[in-house]
Amino acid sequence: MDYKALSEELVKKCLKKGADAAEVYLESGRNLSLEIRNGEIETVEEAAAHGIGFRIFVEGRMAFASSNDFEASALDNTMSRAIEFARSTTSDENNVLPDEKTIQDVQGLFDPQTAAFALETKIEMAKKAERLAMKDPRITKSAGAAYREGEGEVVIANSRGILKSYKASVCSFGVSVVAEKGEQKSSGSESCARRFFADLKSPEEVAATAAKKAYDMLDPRPVKTQKAAVLFDPDVAGALLGGILGAINGERVLQGASFLAKRLNQKIASELMTIVDDGTRPKGLASSPFDGEGVSTQKRLIVEKGVLKGFLYNTIVGKRAGVGSTGNAARGGFTGLPDIGPHNFYLAAGTTSPEEIIRATKTGLLLKEVTGYGINPVNGNFSGGAAGFWIENGKIAYPVKGLTVAGTADDMFNGIDMVGNDLDLNRPRTAPMFRVKLLQIGGE
Amino acid sequence: MRFPKTFVEDIPRRKFLELGLKGGLALTATPQLLTQLLAGQGTSASPVKVGADSSLLNRTISKALEKGGDFAEVYIEKRISRTILMEESKFKSAVFGISQGAGVRVIAGEKTGYAYTDEIADDKLLRAAEVASTIARGSRASKPVDIRPARRKSFITIKLPLGEVAEAKRLDIIRRAHQAALDYDARIKMASINYYEEVRGRTIANSEGVLLSDELPLLFFVVQTLSVGNNTQHLGRERLSRHSGFEMFEEVTPEQVARACARESIAMLEAKDAPAGKLDVVMQNGWGGVLVHEAVGHPLEADNIAKKIGVFTGKLGQKVANPVFTMVDDGGHPQLPGTESFRNIPIPRMTNTFIDNGKERPEDILASTKSGLYVQSLSGGSVNPITGVFNFTCREAYLIENGKKTSPVKGATLIGNCLDIISNIDAVGNDLDFGPGICGKGQSAEVSAGQPTVRIRGINVGGTRAAR
Repeated sequence: MDYKALSEELVKKCLKKGADAAEVYLESGRNLSLEIRNGEIETVEEAAAHGIGFRIFVEGRMAFASSNDFEASALDNTMSRAIEFARSTTSDENNVLPDEKTIQDVQGLFDPQTAAFALETKIEMAKKAERLAMKDPRITKSAGAAYREGEGEVVIANSRGILKSYKASVCSFGVSVVAEKGEQKSSGSESCARRFFADLKSPEEVAATAAKKAYDMLDPRPVKTQKAAVLFDPDVAGALLGGILGAINGERVLQGASFLAKRLNQKIASELMTIVDDGTRPKGLASSPFDGEGVSTQKRLIVEKGVLKGFLYNTIVGKRAGVGSTGNAARGGFTGLPDIGPHNFYLAAGTTSPEEIIRATKTGLLLKEVTGYGINPVNGNFSGGAAGFWIENGKIAYPVKGLTVAGTADDMFNGIDMVGNDLDLNRPRTAPMFRVKLLQIGGE
Repeated sequence: MRFPKTFVEDIPRRKFLELGLKGGLALTATPQLLTQLLAGQGTSASPVKVGADSSLLNRTISKALEKGGDFAEVYIEKRISRTILMEESKFKSAVFGISQGAGVRVIAGEKTGYAYTDEIADDKLLRAAEVASTIARGSRASKPVDIRPARRKSFITIKLPLGEVAEAKRLDIIRRAHQAALDYDARIKMASINYYEEVRGRTIANSEGVLLSDELPLLFFVVQTLSVGNNTQHLGRERLSRHSGFEMFEEVTPEQVARACARESIAMLEAKDAPAGKLDVVMQNGWGGVLVHEAVGHPLEADNIAKKIGVFTGKLGQKVANPVFTMVDDGGHPQLPGTESFRNIPIPRMTNTFIDNGKERPEDILASTKSGLYVQSLSGGSVNPITGVFNFTCREAYLIENGKKTSPVKGATLIGNCLDIISNIDAVGNDLDFGPGICGKGQSAEVSAGQPTVRIRGINVGGTRAAR
């Protein structure tokens, strides 16, 4: 099916039915999922799906309807529903669609080869990762290995002349194992995701990391409640980045529901903190040529050497704020309106090696796992469950579990005194290892 | 195991199950059928006319078992949903969704094959059956299938079907909640009201000859209020959700929900730093039941037990908790979100999970706790079902000093191990209540969690100052 032609046609139909402006967002894709346990295939899933979302404007009122039935009568009914539903909403001068027609190209988003590799190769990858992870005698059970892939196409057409599309693919595999010792159980998992099949890590590497994560955490020791340095491993980057993301959402900023709302162009963090949002990185897992409503993505500095430089906006919120879209309209699929979200979002690399950061820490906690909600984007309070390693005299001394860490965003941002050089940009939300001088740790 | 999410991964199965392309035997999604569904007609007699299509279902099941296998099933769903958002005194958006789809599942020994399609047509269903059957490599000749309509007891009663509610009534409910929230206190600077409703028609047919159809309504009403003052701000949240008709808003008014939310927002403006370290915790009745949902419920789900890796593996019949602790999962609780007339998603998961009533009065539990933390409501939590380590985050909590609830404290994360926690619950109240939630276990599902007031001795609290 020619989705571009269909989308363009549907926009025209919406106008004919009485919409003042209209947008068609179409997604189509297929995916494959294989799950392995104890050397046998446990599940095989295959599917193809597609859907269309209509965003309709009538006299400044906005409504949306979606359908995954492409029959002409079903689509006709869906757009009528949206037009009808627009009666229920409030008119707003900011309710507009973008008209940016630049066609930006971001390299390396779609791998035509992924689908061509034999199913057996993919099954064997997951099986091998499991087999190798189980080789270590400390690993007693497999919680399963998996391989997944998906590919799809997005088309956006609107009544202001935007007509854009792109294709993307992703593949991933991983394994999860359990180490047991007496009554103790410790689990470890590792996965690798890439745009291109050939770029995936080797099963050896993934397996070794998963096994290490499990057995390294055996025989944890208790530590006392205290304040100490806290080192954030790249695996727990989300504990820092998640709260920042909530707080730089342009709509939350306008509403005052963000602890960063009034801090634009102010110093909010240590000079070592530079945060980047990049939708254009070739092969990036969160890259795309345009955002959820067709605006070209950008690479932007959100925090530069500790100074807050900007927020994230879609078209409507950007107009309301008087700054325009930043190409951050985020779409969770064809079933909903564009929200606001990041692309590849990361803490820029520093110059210190992770080993050096550990060596420079007299007493501290190396965080490998943080649970909970991270930084609260409304008031900046931070609290989480924690596990990792205790550091004594510049060396990893023993694993620790069942701890808590807490502080405020201010404590964390300003307390960053070392940033690692180990940034892995193959992850969509990522940070190198970094150290916060002092945080409250809850233990015995 | 977590894998990065990207849009291409979003479209397939997760989305499918989450947003419900599971399509109704609305198979024959004719306009008439659609109209019926939208009109909410025939809540007991499903609008899904199966008779005409049972031959296709039979053929699909036969096809699914062509290469062998022990069991095959076709699941078809159609979902119609509405979301209306009022925020900053405006009806900001209105979202309407129609989705449908069919999944075919084949089980052969311990293997499962699954495929789905969102186009409910002969060739697509048969193709899905063929794909799902690839895991079966037996030689068993497939038997012809002859499905017959069966019935299951329904726990859902509907007085005001959602499909018959005038749009103005929905808007009125939302407006009333918005106004009540702003009227509560001048420090409430913003209210956000999210109204969601859906009607889901489902059909299941399997190789054992069973054919089931039903229609399930769901209402999910969420109020959030932003309070500003005392040099801080707090976003409160209150939810109301049932499998119910519009009468839900007569039983609990939108004003009640809004005021409960605003109350939390105002109370938490005074929050002081929470203590850090091991404390005794008293948890108020209601949604605090998410504690047992996470800490005990998920580890009890049979998938990890079957793999012999779950924390409760081998513990059936053993004493695992303090004798005052009894926990129940009840999929037949009238109207609660986790209630279904039959189970739809083929993974082991909870429905309405709660700690059963004990004998103590809640005020006595508090009075007999010298110092600690009183948790009035929780945001949510998660658990590692293998190790049993769980966490949950407080929305509203207070210090306990000399048996009394005193200052509010900032939202802290609590962490512990499930086996320790259920041994350390030493007091259970007689005031069981429930709260609604969305449980994410790869696929999202509406559930409810409940508990009476309980006390847990010694749980690690993630505060910002050392406890005394």
